Amino acid sequence: MTFQIDDARSHIGHQFPGGAYRIAHWENWLLTDCTGAEPLPDQLVHPIALFHAPILGSGISITELFALFNVTGMGGVSLVGYDWEYFQPLQEDVDYQCEGRVITVERGETTPTGWTETMAFQIDMLDQDRQPVARVTNTWRFHRQAS
Amino acid sequence: MAFPSAGIMTATEPIAVGYAIPPLTINSVDPARMKTMAAILRDPYPLHWDRKINELIGLGNRVVNQGPLNVGYVANMLMAWAGPDSIKRLTLSFGNPVFDGDRVVAHGVVTALDTSGTEALATCDIWLERAGEHVVTGVAVVHLNSHVLLSVADNPNHLPT
Repeated sequence: MTFQIDDARSHIGHQFPGGAYRIAHWENWLLTDCTGAEPLPDQLVHPIALFHAPILGSGISITELFALFNVTGMGGVSLVGYDWEYFQPLQEDVDYQCEGRVITVERGETTPTGWTETMAFQIDMLDQDRQPVARVTNTWRFHRQAS
Repeated sequence: MAFPSAGIMTATEPIAVGYAIPPLTINSVDPARMKTMAAILRDPYPLHWDRKINELIGLGNRVVNQGPLNVGYVANMLMAWAGPDSIKRLTLSFGNPVFDGDRVVAHGVVTALDTSGTEALATCDIWLERAGEHVVTGVAVVHLNSHVLLSVADNPNHLPT
């Protein structure tokens, strides 16, 4: 049976398991090197860590996230956009609590073979005192095939 | 590319609306870095490292750069300009994919300055360009450190917009 928009919408509000993530020095070094930059000073974490650290810290993987919506990454998913807010500088070797949820699912355009949907999730990163460190809102497009 | 230490500004031009942030060029997107990135991200999708898979699905004989790496080039441009702890917000939309071997250039232009709060902020249009095509577009908010504030204060016609 085809996964319908109502099936997808039923996941609005779905809470990720939650947990914590610590960005190790080696991980930050390699991540920064991949962008072509030298390591940042003062144990600062490169800003693009806001892609994977919140997802993994909230207890879910990219694969599991897509599976929730019955899609795979090969041709079935494309990236729409990010909204990343930084309230405190991220530091290496610090534990950050991560709390995430699915916030929107919307029917998109009709395509020659089916339709698209957009899904957005939001994850908050908090320090040990539960003060906000960052908030990420990532939006993806799913490409559905009509049955 | 190295970054200035936190709180030290390298720009010498006054900052005003319309100011063009020094661009950052990646002459050839490196497929080896995509492999490392895939491992760090725990991203299992082979379009970032397996050319044969990409041929099968019609993407040609090249691998696709990760979205976060494209963001990284723009972030590096902003940090080289305003400092490594300067980024407060990135709002980004993605267009066509970037492939290995592509030459991309990160650009930014200041569209607003706000010195009314406890810290001075610049809002900037940002984009990643490949041969005239904008493959990433968005808006950044960056904190301007005291050196930049002095530059702004020396040019009252630039305050605030």
